[in-house]
Amino acid sequence: MSTGTIWRCWAALMLLLALTTGLAFVPLGPAQLGVSLAIACTKALLVLLLFMELKASSGLVRVFACAGFFWLLIMIALTSADYTHRTDQRVPVDEVR
Amino acid sequence: MADEALTFQYAEPAQQREAVTLGMWAFLATEVLFFGALVAAYFNYRIWFGEEFIAAARMTKVAFGTINTGVLLTSSACMAMAVKTYEEGSRRAPVLWLSATALLGLAFIGIKSVEYWLEYQEHLVPAINFDLQRHGGVAEIFFIFYFCATGIHAVHLLIGISLVTWLAWWIGTGRIDPASSTTRLIGLYWHFVDIVWIFLFPLIYLAGRSG
Repeated sequence: MSTGTIWRCWAALMLLLALTTGLAFVPLGPAQLGVSLAIACTKALLVLLLFMELKASSGLVRVFACAGFFWLLIMIALTSADYTHRTDQRVPVDEVR
Repeated sequence: MADEALTFQYAEPAQQREAVTLGMWAFLATEVLFFGALVAAYFNYRIWFGEEFIAAARMTKVAFGTINTGVLLTSSACMAMAVKTYEEGSRRAPVLWLSATALLGLAFIGIKSVEYWLEYQEHLVPAINFDLQRHGGVAEIFFIFYFCATGIHAVHLLIGISLVTWLAWWIGTGRIDPASSTTRLIGLYWHFVDIVWIFLFPLIYLAGRSG
């Protein structure tokens, strides 16, 4: 990786940081979470591919790197699917309200 | 030890290099799930409590969070420079870049400490001085998540700072094998801690800012 790539990547990360912070103050309604997570994913991809050198790594290393995030997706998707579709409105944490 | 040029079980340096990288990624995959469980909890709280939970997120200090994100992203760029200069055979440049990385890491911890102090003064620290009457139960749940997530992240960062400092010392005193993968592996760990923060930042600091 060249010095130029490292600092261009840094500049892109800084621009994305400014963008996500700026957009957080714009009323986007329910799209807010999606927009900020999409920008976070873009930043994470830049770090993964360039700083963590996945772009230049072998297929096996990339599979290992993807495995953790893939299982994370399953964990978040299935638990969220459960709690979004519960018809029983009373959940134990209601006690704290 | 990755410090050895080539240990007996490997046929060639490239094979050893891939094996140690793979081992580091296997460890990082467990770390993804470790922090991922916290993030999954965050999403479930958001589904359960909706607006009340997001309103609690508005009590965090967005200026501190944004500056700290910039500090950490810059430290990652310095770490990448350290790995690059080290692998090109330089011995002075990586020590300087690693020192910059460690100093930026310490700056992050310093800024975070000031933030914790301000939150302590606002009675926002659960189990120590949380003001339930003033802030409410949902805010307490948010701040339990906040202190767990940022606290565990800070512990990871402190481990990273120690590793980077040790590495700079060893490279500076010439006690490390020039062919070793240690610098690159510590780099991977440092960038991972950065990625965790990239996701914590919008969830904690940016939620509900336009509301």
